[in-house]
Amino acid sequence: MQCSVLDTNIVYVSTSTLLETQGIVTSKEILSATYEVIKNIAVGVIDIVDPPRLGFQLTLKLHLDNIPRGKAAEAIKIITRISEIQAIILSSQLKEMLKRLNFQDDSQAMNNNNRPVRIVYHPSEPFYVFRQAEKITAVFPMNFKDNSDVVIAMSFFQELVEVGSQKEMGKAPQCSWSPVPPFQLRGEPVHDLTTNAGFVSFDITSRHVEGKRLDKTVWNLLNFYAYVKYHIKCTRGYIQRRMRKRMDSLVKRLNNTRFEEESPQKENGACKYVKELVKVQKGKLMMQQRCKDMTRRVKISKFRIRINGCARFRFNQRWISIPKFSSKSSK
Amino acid sequence: MANPLRLYLACIKNTLEAAMCLQNFPCQEVERHNKPEVELKTSPELLLNPVLICRNEAEKCLIESSINSLRISLKVKQADELENILTKKFLRFLSMRAEAFQVLRRKPVQGYDISFLITNYHCEEMQKQKLIDFIIQFMEDIEKEISELKISVNTRGRLVATEFLKQFM
Repeated sequence: MQCSVLDTNIVYVSTSTLLETQGIVTSKEILSATYEVIKNIAVGVIDIVDPPRLGFQLTLKLHLDNIPRGKAAEAIKIITRISEIQAIILSSQLKEMLKRLNFQDDSQAMNNNNRPVRIVYHPSEPFYVFRQAEKITAVFPMNFKDNSDVVIAMSFFQELVEVGSQKEMGKAPQCSWSPVPPFQLRGEPVHDLTTNAGFVSFDITSRHVEGKRLDKTVWNLLNFYAYVKYHIKCTRGYIQRRMRKRMDSLVKRLNNTRFEEESPQKENGACKYVKELVKVQKGKLMMQQRCKDMTRRVKISKFRIRINGCARFRFNQRWISIPKFSSKSSK
Repeated sequence: MANPLRLYLACIKNTLEAAMCLQNFPCQEVERHNKPEVELKTSPELLLNPVLICRNEAEKCLIESSINSLRISLKVKQADELENILTKKFLRFLSMRAEAFQVLRRKPVQGYDISFLITNYHCEEMQKQKLIDFIIQFMEDIEKEISELKISVNTRGRLVATEFLKQFM
């Protein structure tokens, strides 16, 4: 993103979503239909700069002063759509690639020339797509920072494979998990193939790339990582809530083991009567307490000499008597 | 399957009833100090023989007693990786909040998952029989909670996987 101090209302945004095969860029061009979609996001706000900045596929000029300021909801909508531009470009490229691979012959698919294509939607989270006989396979190398995330993810993948193999899910892509990368990914960068949670593969058939299902398939593939991470986050939150609830019940139970200091508060007629009596007495007691405080304060003000720490000696006149000094001389 | 658990818990309960005879005993090493002797272990005459009760290789309970304190260490069953991390998370969660429990030790004894430290002061504040019942109930609750958590995590995973695959259909 580039902006100038001279004109703060103009911002240049450049993006690049290259599809690679073993380091070689296979797809660089953006379709004209995608350009039209981008232009229609916010008419008057987005201009496409031709040629794009060096090293980027697309450069956009954003007129920030044309974003409606009075209507916050509309402004947020426009800004959200601008932030989705990279996703729009990548999804259009992926759609084209899936269509192209779908129409290839099986003989071309078995060729060594049909190498896996590396797609990066989230930074440092690439996934691969390659053609096989009668299907397209998408392989996701899974990596997690925390060991507990790995365990939760593995149980999720296990369920994914089991659910995918059921009869009711016959129309969904076949899902499989493997601790090692498939042999088709030989030659890919080692750091991309180093994982701690294995490889998840989806076998996409022609059924999933035809008509309206193509959009859903592309969206699901691009957001698989985010889906898994969100599931792990929600699971952790759920575990935390349950632990907290159980802890509260255990603490309550422990507190019940204490010896009872006062009589328990029972809800019956006798105790209610006692409570009422206590309420009446309480007012008198408070008055007495206040009187005591007042006399105490008066006594403090009368004493001229104050020694710190000797406060208890001042007022406890039972065991110590303070002699009274009289100024009158004896006659 | 419930029978072995019942026997195990009954054995622990009987041992605790015998071991939880605590009295106030000031520290012999340092004047005007009162320390749980089971933690220091400086005076062997004040310590009783530790008792190890094993349900199986994975589950055991170590009861170490002394004149003024008692330490109970538990090792909980962990059948697979998921149970392992759930147990670790849960018991660590409880240990970090040991001040709410008072009788819980902040760090478990080495080789065990969770430890209690009961002193004569706790016995003065709490009823001995109820305290023993609490510990037995605690052990049952932990096992129950971890099994329920495991089932819940797997069920959630299954539901999420079903929803994900439905989007392709």
